[in-house]
Amino acid sequence: MVRFLVKRLLSAALTLFAVSVFSFLMFFALPRDPVTGMCPKNCNPERLERVRQELGLRDPLITQYAGYMKGIVTGRDLGSAQGGRCDAPCLGWSYVTNEAVSDTIARVLPVTLSIVIPAAILWLLLGVGLGMVSALRRGTWLDRLAIGFSLTGASLQLYFVGAVLLLVFVYNLRLLPVPSYTSLFDNPVKWASGLVLAWVALAFLYSAIYARLSRAQMLETLSEDFVRTARAKGLTKPKVYGRHALRAAITPVVTIAGLDVGGALGGTVITETTFGIQGLGRTAVDAVRAGDLPTIMATVLIAAVFVVLANVLVDLLYAAIDPRVRLR
Amino acid sequence: MRPRAAVAAGGAIALVVTLGACSENTGEGTTVDNTRQQTGVIATDPKDSRGPAAEVAGAQKGGTFTIIRETPISHLDPQRTYSFAGLMANPLFARYLTTWKDDGKGGLVLVGDLAETPGTNVNSDCKVWEFKIKDGVKFEDGSPITSKEIAYGIARSFDPDLAGGPTYLQEWLADSPEFDTKWDFKKNKTSLPPGLTAPDAKTLRFEFAKPRCDLPFAVSLPTTAPLKADKDTGVNLDQRPFSSGPYKVAKNQAGVQLTLDRNPNWDASTDPVRHQYPDQFVWSFGPTADAANNRVIADNGADQSAIAFNYVPSSLVARVAQDQALKSRTILSPTPSANQLVINNQRVKDLKIRQALNYAIDREGLIKAVGGQTVAQPMTTLMPSSTIGFKAFDAYPAGANGDVDKAKELLGGQTPELVLGVADNTSEQAMAIQLKSNLERAGFKITVRNIPDDAKLDEVKKKDNPWDLYIGNWAADWPSGASILPVLYDGRTIKAEGNSNQSYLNDPAINAEFDRILTLEPAKQGPEWAKLDERIMKEQAPVVPLYVDVAYAVHGSKAGGVFISSVFGYPSFVNAHVKQ
Repeated sequence: MVRFLVKRLLSAALTLFAVSVFSFLMFFALPRDPVTGMCPKNCNPERLERVRQELGLRDPLITQYAGYMKGIVTGRDLGSAQGGRCDAPCLGWSYVTNEAVSDTIARVLPVTLSIVIPAAILWLLLGVGLGMVSALRRGTWLDRLAIGFSLTGASLQLYFVGAVLLLVFVYNLRLLPVPSYTSLFDNPVKWASGLVLAWVALAFLYSAIYARLSRAQMLETLSEDFVRTARAKGLTKPKVYGRHALRAAITPVVTIAGLDVGGALGGTVITETTFGIQGLGRTAVDAVRAGDLPTIMATVLIAAVFVVLANVLVDLLYAAIDPRVRLR
Repeated sequence: MRPRAAVAAGGAIALVVTLGACSENTGEGTTVDNTRQQTGVIATDPKDSRGPAAEVAGAQKGGTFTIIRETPISHLDPQRTYSFAGLMANPLFARYLTTWKDDGKGGLVLVGDLAETPGTNVNSDCKVWEFKIKDGVKFEDGSPITSKEIAYGIARSFDPDLAGGPTYLQEWLADSPEFDTKWDFKKNKTSLPPGLTAPDAKTLRFEFAKPRCDLPFAVSLPTTAPLKADKDTGVNLDQRPFSSGPYKVAKNQAGVQLTLDRNPNWDASTDPVRHQYPDQFVWSFGPTADAANNRVIADNGADQSAIAFNYVPSSLVARVAQDQALKSRTILSPTPSANQLVINNQRVKDLKIRQALNYAIDREGLIKAVGGQTVAQPMTTLMPSSTIGFKAFDAYPAGANGDVDKAKELLGGQTPELVLGVADNTSEQAMAIQLKSNLERAGFKITVRNIPDDAKLDEVKKKDNPWDLYIGNWAADWPSGASILPVLYDGRTIKAEGNSNQSYLNDPAINAEFDRILTLEPAKQGPEWAKLDERIMKEQAPVVPLYVDVAYAVHGSKAGGVFISSVFGYPSFVNAHVKQ
């Protein structure tokens, strides 16, 4: 178990290193000069060149990369043009938002976490629950209803569902406030009422896929020998379905959930855009549009961290859920 | 800039022109008013510069006024402010040496803001200017604002770390575009740049090597906002500027929300333009233009006292225009932002071809392509109608849809092959399709070449760029012909790259005329710029004037006092109030 964990963490670190190198190289490959973002008007070529040299943009790439990584681990001095001392984890300075990128991330990451984690709990409960019920009540009206729900959800787009939810609950019925983010610790009620539409929209669309997947997995598992054996031995239905069949059926669902949640934590771009909430995804898109390379690099790195960590977590969950899996 | 005579004492110098097409700009619907007159004035009677500003009819104190905008304001630090959002936000928490008293109906008066008057031209040669600072002006901490703090604000604008703002004062004081190499702010924090002195607490003095007659206009930009040296946090001032205006920053969640509370130390009796009606201003960032406008149209809760800073997007134009209930909540106004089809005169040397392009243009079709009358209004002059001294004319009258026969006649059977360079953004792509079909109908052969959007401006500013035609835009920093015609058409300024003269016109006779007009008294310059505008178009046709951008904004039912700034073309909040 420990050996497995060490191996997975090393592999995760290697992946993150590769991502950091690629995103850093992208900084130079993109047809965008970071200095022009700093001085969009009235900057003649001589001034721009001076600024480039002062910022160390003329140093060798390896020196610049080493400085960037050092900043993440120990912090570094970015110079007066970039706010001076930047504490670890220092992700650079944005000339678009005019603040340390780590400050931007610290502000927008809780927003995305607040959207994704409750939404993920909702979509997993709803999706897996519907899928299981549908499989156990195969052919009944409940099954047909669940299939219809999942088909509808799978065929819709978030920007449409989101717009409909806004129109109905915010603009017409006026039951909910305009979506916004308030810290959970400041005002839990405002936190929930400001994000509930985003949770519902995400949960509706994602749970559809999970319902279909769970149903198919459960049906397959129910036809397996060990389920028949368990029933033949006289175990009760709840024990057979809950303790044996569900654990076997849910393994692929966990894999997909790990990837989905990891990816969503890297940024729910469409959700954040539809509901006008500034999270990590929206920040990444704004950064791309504005050519804000330090912020792009940071968001790419953070998204990679979430995906890699989610995968490690999924591997660990396999062992917990399915006793046939042994970690080596 | 060239010399012009001293500002006359007593009274005001009024320059009155008739505008071709200006709408009401009062938040009272969308009716176009073709008879409105615009006046541009430099106030010289100190009474004009004194506070308090005239009360806004029906305005009461209280409430929160919300401004919803998709993207954050690029800079809040006044010395770094140059974006339109920044220029409209800054007056809420920053005061300058001079400012524009704008009635929202075409009347503009340049008055002293922190200064008692818009400046004294000491030797009548525009080389030495003096400003006397008002008594009773204070920062948010209650400490007095003197000439020393205003000078410090200007001095810090020399710091290359604080780039982004206008550079007129820095370049004029250093007499060089390389101003930051002439005077190093970081090494001289206790002194002042060359030519800038504060001989006593009430006096600020500028001495220039060359005449700078536009100084009263230039000091109306945020570069002259005061700052105490011990409150200078360098690049971090962008997060929390130190207020000299009626509001102060209460909370700034960068990129999410900026909250401004009343500044108790602002004294209305010193301020000729600003009010302090709402308890709070909130700039809310994030919602797209569609979402922001939908919220304001829905008119729920806090959005009743909100305005969408991003204008009504094309997807909502029909809905807003047709909804009679929204008439009283929309503002429709032309802005000073002028768009042209720029002709590269180095490549298109034949005047007849340039004239034929002017005759061929189908402005009505083009305006439809960019979104219709709520987005653009046609123009046939080089200067927009909001310019002091403006006179309407059409050097190549061809009706709304162009005169194909006249264009063909000028071409004399030729088929000129021209390359149109366009940015790869939605707006210019739509224009390119329309322009190609429009001009080819008149006998041109147009090849469209895409330019990456973020590189386009830099590329067309290169002297040897490979395009014959491109779409250009110019919004002057102040409404004077001096900040438009010499900047865009003086051929002596052409260099290898970074050219504002993108038509690359270089006519010695026109250049000489620039010099002549710039030596005239301010009162005489306006009509002379208008005459030169017509002459340039008739003799050289260096561009095809297309349209001015139109502001089409919607606000909540309780949002009052907003008007479109005649100087910048964006909503002004100095009169904003929440209807109770």
